[in-house]
Amino acid sequence: MKRMPIVLAATAAGLATVLGFHTQKMNSNVLSGLSGASGAGTTPTSSPSGAGSGTSTTTAAGSSSTPGPTSTSTSTTTAAGTRTALGADVQYRYGELELQVTATGGRITNVQPAIDTAFDPRSSQVNSYAEPLLQSQTLQAQSANINGVSGATFTSQAYVQSLQAALDKLGIK
Amino acid sequence: MGTLTRDSPWAADAATPSEADPVTGPVLRHVHAVMGTMVSFDVRLGDANPAAAHLALARACARLDRADAVFSTWKPNSPMSLLRRNAIASDEAPAEVAKVLELCDLARELSGGWFDPWRMPGGIDPTGLVKGWAADRALDELRASGVRAAIVSAGGDLATFGGPEPGSPWRIGVRDPRAIDKIACILESPGAVATSGCYERGRHVIDPRTGRTETRCESATVTGPELWLADALATGLLVAGEAGLALIEAVQGYEACVISETGSITMTGSLPITR
Repeated sequence: MKRMPIVLAATAAGLATVLGFHTQKMNSNVLSGLSGASGAGTTPTSSPSGAGSGTSTTTAAGSSSTPGPTSTSTSTTTAAGTRTALGADVQYRYGELELQVTATGGRITNVQPAIDTAFDPRSSQVNSYAEPLLQSQTLQAQSANINGVSGATFTSQAYVQSLQAALDKLGIK
Repeated sequence: MGTLTRDSPWAADAATPSEADPVTGPVLRHVHAVMGTMVSFDVRLGDANPAAAHLALARACARLDRADAVFSTWKPNSPMSLLRRNAIASDEAPAEVAKVLELCDLARELSGGWFDPWRMPGGIDPTGLVKGWAADRALDELRASGVRAAIVSAGGDLATFGGPEPGSPWRIGVRDPRAIDKIACILESPGAVATSGCYERGRHVIDPRTGRTETRCESATVTGPELWLADALATGLLVAGEAGLALIEAVQGYEACVISETGSITMTGSLPITR
């Protein structure tokens, strides 16, 4: 299991989100390219506009269009900085999942899959179904001030595992 | 949550170091891949010796691994698998097998037969109880180490003690089975919260009365002091539906709710629901 470096991007407060890319059904070539792109994020990255966040780009299998982060760096250090961290790259039943978490101060402001692949069509369904839901679940869980969720299953667990690693890097509980 | 994944290509565990929080004190988090799911730990150390807490965590994981090795029905040579196909006699199995089957018998009785490991296709199958039982045992290790509070979440079934801060209970959200980005309700954990539901894996629970896959509600949640029983009762309640609530009402210390297809929540009288 590979662990991605911490991405600490100090961005202007208005840029509360970091460019996220959501890829599915990628082959391993694209995947490794993606990992490299993520690794490049050791330099501060930020979204030039809010348009990048929250979008889901579905890449067809075998496509070589790697949605790399367009890195127009604003590496100014702001007191109320927005930080991002990549979670653990989790191999789970249906594929591989790695989350990118953005936080402003002590609060999560965005959760995006940085790597999300699957070994078979069914898992793509599971992923596309579960992840947006789980993202809002995470945000809702924070707002509802709950300590755990009952009724989760293994997709959720892969998510939680990756998420937890990112939260630990960000020092958020 | 009766059904576990087969042959999962799990990666190594993600261990996280202890961290300090000004309000809650040091926290230890860990995720352990076992029993076809992810078991996550949230341990609040309090004044406990961090080394003792780490040791307890390792013991807790060993307990889970042991339970998996003994009870897995997916591992063809586990004692439980051997027992299922009469390759060994019950007195040849490890001691905890008899203990778990005793608990299964009790859970069957308390559930009015809606939970019945003896009436599963393919032979006796205690899976619906074992995961909760193993999480209880893992929690025992943490409790004995002197930590202030802990949650052991076995794939969405939680065994807990203490709370996030002294004097406040753990708050557990129950996923809405129809719109799982939502929390259907929040419960204060009395020690265990188990939910069986249709969720991501579809309907996978067998009705012991017919031998067929059948459920009479979208999700069933049971709270109580111990997870082995909450887990088993939730499995049975998913099959029984609303009609099963009265049975759980009668079990001392246990409460429950079921969520219907329309999203309505029906609960027993003293469910520790909160907002």
